[in-house]
Amino acid sequence: MKKFITAAVAALGFALPAMAADYPSGPVTIVIPYSPSGNTDVFARHLAPYLEEKWGQAVVVDNKPGGGSMIGTAYVSQAKPDGQTLLMTSSAFVTAPAIQKELPFDSRTDLVPIVNVGHVSFVLIVNGESPYQTLEEFVAASKESPKFAATAGLGTTTHFAMEKFIVDSGADVEVVHFKGGGPAVVSILSNETDIYGSSISSAGKNIEAGKVRPLMVLGNERIDVIPDVPSAGELGYPDLEIKQWLGVFAPKGTDPEILAKINADVNEALANQEFIDTVTPLDWTLNGGTSEAFVTQVDEELTKWQALADAAGIKK
Amino acid sequence: MEFLGNIGLGFSVALSFTNIFYCFLGALLGTLVGVIPGLGVLAAISMLFPLTFHLEPTTALIMLAGIWYGTTYGGSTASILLNLPGTPANAVTCLDGFPMARQGRGGVALFMTTVASFFGASFGIILLTLFTPVIAEYALRFGSAEYFALMLMGLVAASTISEGSAIKGLAMMVLGIIIGLVGMDSQTATARFTFGSLGLLEGVSLIALAMGVFGVAEIIMSVRRVKATDIDPDSVRLKAIKPTRDDVRRSWMPMLRGSTMGSFFGTLPGTGPSIAAFLSYAVEKRLSKTPERFGKGAIEGIMAPEAANNSADQTAFIPTLSLGVPGSATMALMLGALMIHGIAPGPTLISDEPELFWGLIMSFWVGNVILLILNIPLIGVWVRMLTIPYNLLYPSVLMFICIGAYTASFSPLNVWMVFAFGALGYAMRIFRFPGAPLLLGFVLGPLMEEHFRRAMLLGRGDFMTFFDRPISAVIMALTGLILLWSVWGSEGVRQRRTDRASSARADQDPTKKSI
Repeated sequence: MKKFITAAVAALGFALPAMAADYPSGPVTIVIPYSPSGNTDVFARHLAPYLEEKWGQAVVVDNKPGGGSMIGTAYVSQAKPDGQTLLMTSSAFVTAPAIQKELPFDSRTDLVPIVNVGHVSFVLIVNGESPYQTLEEFVAASKESPKFAATAGLGTTTHFAMEKFIVDSGADVEVVHFKGGGPAVVSILSNETDIYGSSISSAGKNIEAGKVRPLMVLGNERIDVIPDVPSAGELGYPDLEIKQWLGVFAPKGTDPEILAKINADVNEALANQEFIDTVTPLDWTLNGGTSEAFVTQVDEELTKWQALADAAGIKK
Repeated sequence: MEFLGNIGLGFSVALSFTNIFYCFLGALLGTLVGVIPGLGVLAAISMLFPLTFHLEPTTALIMLAGIWYGTTYGGSTASILLNLPGTPANAVTCLDGFPMARQGRGGVALFMTTVASFFGASFGIILLTLFTPVIAEYALRFGSAEYFALMLMGLVAASTISEGSAIKGLAMMVLGIIIGLVGMDSQTATARFTFGSLGLLEGVSLIALAMGVFGVAEIIMSVRRVKATDIDPDSVRLKAIKPTRDDVRRSWMPMLRGSTMGSFFGTLPGTGPSIAAFLSYAVEKRLSKTPERFGKGAIEGIMAPEAANNSADQTAFIPTLSLGVPGSATMALMLGALMIHGIAPGPTLISDEPELFWGLIMSFWVGNVILLILNIPLIGVWVRMLTIPYNLLYPSVLMFICIGAYTASFSPLNVWMVFAFGALGYAMRIFRFPGAPLLLGFVLGPLMEEHFRRAMLLGRGDFMTFFDRPISAVIMALTGLILLWSVWGSEGVRQRRTDRASSARADQDPTKKSI
């Protein structure tokens, strides 16, 4: 018996580190729950070669779009937890559960956050010829005559951003959903709606040309490309820290050592200057960091958006 | 003078060896992707997208654009020969193109649609060259109310799109609208007709519907036909592509009207080539003195939509490049190709990147000439496809349908939907329900709903919003006139139809053999 225990302990002790050290033992599939060439997909395809080099294994980017990213997410939640199948998804991971009730997985438990790779910042914009020079003026004007806020679609990060803005500022604004960020920016250009939380890339040239006016960055720090625009923190909205992030997840039950290895290797790729130079033109701010930090962030955001969906009466 | 300078600059960029090569590559790939049923431009561009990381931004865009308009050129081929839309924008070309092929006029149809495509594209490019900034400004005047009014006009104008029983046509249109509503409601996130399926939340894809109802149904129908040799062998010779004088005479105005409509819809973000093609078909039928010929191989029925979808392809670049706003998923991809090189399209693009802008536009001429040269000799090859026995041709076509349906959204569910719609299409054939209104309802219905609800929200629930806004009011008034005209005119049409009945019967005789 004693022998058996020793053997078992030895085997166990041997097996665990071996698993992490051997990782990855075959080709790794990174599932992208979006169509090819969306910005999540492009990011993953740029990142894959760096991991391939590090791991000496093929890293395959596999698109499983549909259901507002939920199909690919559900797929990975049911995958074998050996680290060979990973998910790279956006903050839709935390916003979608707040409006879609019947998901075939539990976003709190079925997937483990590994690392937050980067984010895109949002900025509140109004038409370039509108009279509002500051956010304060806009909020005050909305109380005189109610305004419309555009979103890139129900349940998108921009939608939650606008709802949160309305709750925190007390502005008299009603949200109108468009199909995608493009039409939402057009609605600002054509004065059909009054305010929109746009990603910098969609608004960029129009800000430069003076067609739209940025009023506030939806975050607590200013952004390099628009250094004159105040941050939400400066204007007294510390909770309007809203970013569309991108993160890597694994199915629950994956060996913690494998998770740690993936975290370390992705962080290493994110620090590679060549990689930084390729993705920064796409408006990505790279994050990286520990998995603990990302786990906490995902958990807090799930709670935050659910509370907002309940408070703002967003239908389920 | 500045204008000539711009054009010169554009050609100097477009005519560089590298750019001509990539333009050719794009056009060739586009044609192939277009010819293969169901394999859409979005899938093709997505697959080649990583290649653009390593190209100059202008060259990358020239190639992607070549694929984009090349598919619409090639897309009519499968529509005409196999009743299978090569791309959604070519779906309407099936309605008269396939009957033409069955009458042994496939070569003529292919040749004439190539001409129509070139004509429409040229029309679009000229507009693009002359008026980009102006058009971009006017497109901004179209809000949700205007879009709704336009769609309503389209639906009213198209209400006579089908032959035969009006009730059956109406029923199919409603069914089309219902199928169009499948998925997540855009204003409340309520799932409609999804039966708990996550996959259906995205809605039904036009390509699955069109391939099923037209293509798969056609294949099932043909099971009883054994050989392909009932096609007149003369009709597949190259000389058989020569249109008759009557064909040419009938084609001018539809091409011109199609190009105008196509250019217009192309500039509006969110409408694009498919809607342009559908509506121009509807308009031709409405304007025709002999609407009963439509659906039976009327050349107007292929010329107008093919001119429309190709001109829309070109003018779709106006909002994309000058507002930085992509009108469709494919255009969003092209923007992505630019952004990866650090170029953000927008109002300042023309002045910031004149080489890119003018080079791209002038490359459209290069690409369209290449397509013309490429497509005419290929007609002989494609038409020969009809001589392949069905038992060999159709299984391979079915395989391509599956590949196409799958790659349209990388989802196996789409493949099942194609077969479900195939069964529906077969049942529709047996009970003589028309397919065209189904597609029209499917395309226009959800768009109307989306814009109607948004317009009502923005108008704070007041119906007058459709009449207070000048552009919307004009379109609504036109819609009313069309409605009155059809009520008042239907008596006259009925009269004319009985007059023609005897002569039409005589006309049919020579074609009977080949059917």
